[in-house]
Amino acid sequence: MSQEKLNFIVVDDSKLDCFIAEKIIQNSGRAEKINTFQQATDALEHVKNLPLPHGKTIIFVDIQMPVMNGFEFVESFETLPAETREAISIYMLSSSINENDIARVRGYASVKQFLNKPLTNSSIAMVLEQF
Amino acid sequence: MLEQKDKIKVLYIDDEPNNLISFKASFRFDYTVYVANNTDEAVVQLRQHPDISVILSDQKMPDKTGVEFFEEIRKEFPNPVRILITGYADIESVINAINRGHVYRYIKKPWLEEDIKSSIEQAYKFYITTAMLAVKNDELQKAYNELDKFAYSATHDMRGPILSVLGIIDLAKNTDDISETRGMLDMMENAMQKLDNYIQNLHDYYSIRRGEVAIAEINFEDTVKDLSDIYEVSSKMNNVRFVKTVDQQETFRSDDVSLKIILNNLLSNAFKYQRKGNTDRLVDLKVEVSKGMAVITVSDNGIGIPENSINQIFNMFYRATSEEVGSGFGLYNVKDALGKLGGKIDVSSKQNEGTTFVVTIPSK
Repeated sequence: MSQEKLNFIVVDDSKLDCFIAEKIIQNSGRAEKINTFQQATDALEHVKNLPLPHGKTIIFVDIQMPVMNGFEFVESFETLPAETREAISIYMLSSSINENDIARVRGYASVKQFLNKPLTNSSIAMVLEQF
Repeated sequence: MLEQKDKIKVLYIDDEPNNLISFKASFRFDYTVYVANNTDEAVVQLRQHPDISVILSDQKMPDKTGVEFFEEIRKEFPNPVRILITGYADIESVINAINRGHVYRYIKKPWLEEDIKSSIEQAYKFYITTAMLAVKNDELQKAYNELDKFAYSATHDMRGPILSVLGIIDLAKNTDDISETRGMLDMMENAMQKLDNYIQNLHDYYSIRRGEVAIAEINFEDTVKDLSDIYEVSSKMNNVRFVKTVDQQETFRSDDVSLKIILNNLLSNAFKYQRKGNTDRLVDLKVEVSKGMAVITVSDNGIGIPENSINQIFNMFYRATSEEVGSGFGLYNVKDALGKLGGKIDVSSKQNEGTTFVVTIPSK
């Protein structure tokens, strides 16, 4: 069975965690394209300027980042035009074990799920089952 | 005699003008005395003089009783200590008032000067103790808030690198490519250095917080020599010119550990936040000691600090950039250490041009 290829966007201020996510995504064999960003503001610009209509896209975004954090990123994302947001699914990734953070993730309509760091072969497999 | 400003400030309320006059006459040398003819006037006095610490009120007044008045003002003015003066045998209401906490003490009318004095003195002691308790409570609250912040950051800054390394290990297990594995080892090293750096900062933080300052003579030539040994490697590896000038003609006394924490953080930032494309990278350290003041200037021609973040850089865990690895601890520690030394710090910065920190510390 041939599975649909997906676009991926990784947002994490840690270069290392971007690298890990990129590798794990590559290993999944589902990636059409992977873009990584260490600044959430850059990622937001990228999303804004995506040519329409774009294919199914998955965003993995870290929560704790300087300048613009994951929550702020999602809040800005939710103000973008509907056609831009269409076909984009956001997953929030964090090392946080803070209950408030995890609860807060559930409050965002555009966020599919909270995932623990690091992204692993098995955690991404679970995500990709839905696509 | 005590200075005017050091005198205990007392408010006396009585509907009998004669009582007010004799009260003022008896105590004006010992205390700063405010008087009020009725409770409305008393409230005005309290609003005008928020540092009134003891209130004495007559119990039997035409508009309301002293107890009622105390009950009323307790919310708006919780701090002044309340003393009731009563000539009537309405002991019931007095007991009641004391039990309900509206009145600290009562004095029988006609009063003896000695009674009033000793009551005011004791009430003032009580006032000071309560005020100090409030200050301590404030400090505790601050400490709790900081602890919360810390616990939150610890999960990120301490768990972060560990989880990264676990992620890399997972990847490395599934790769046969040796050169790729080597690259991963470098990354793990990097993550562990980040963690180590965080823990060292944490250690600094607690040594500033809890540690006593140990004042000794400081020879800045030696201090700067130690620092250049540390930063020489960084300077060579990253191709950054490190210029040092020390001008110290007089003895300077301060805490060596705090000074090193300040200098280390400022220098490591200056080396870290360099511009990638810049071919003439520079870190300039200047120390000038004169007239009992040390002025330390650390400047760089690096990435600079965005204007809208400059007010926040000294906040705990604040990071203005994701360009480089930072813990959000460094400048907070600098500010904290300067607080201990009675010093101050100024910063001026322009994005893509560089940053200058000027630290001024008085000799102890």
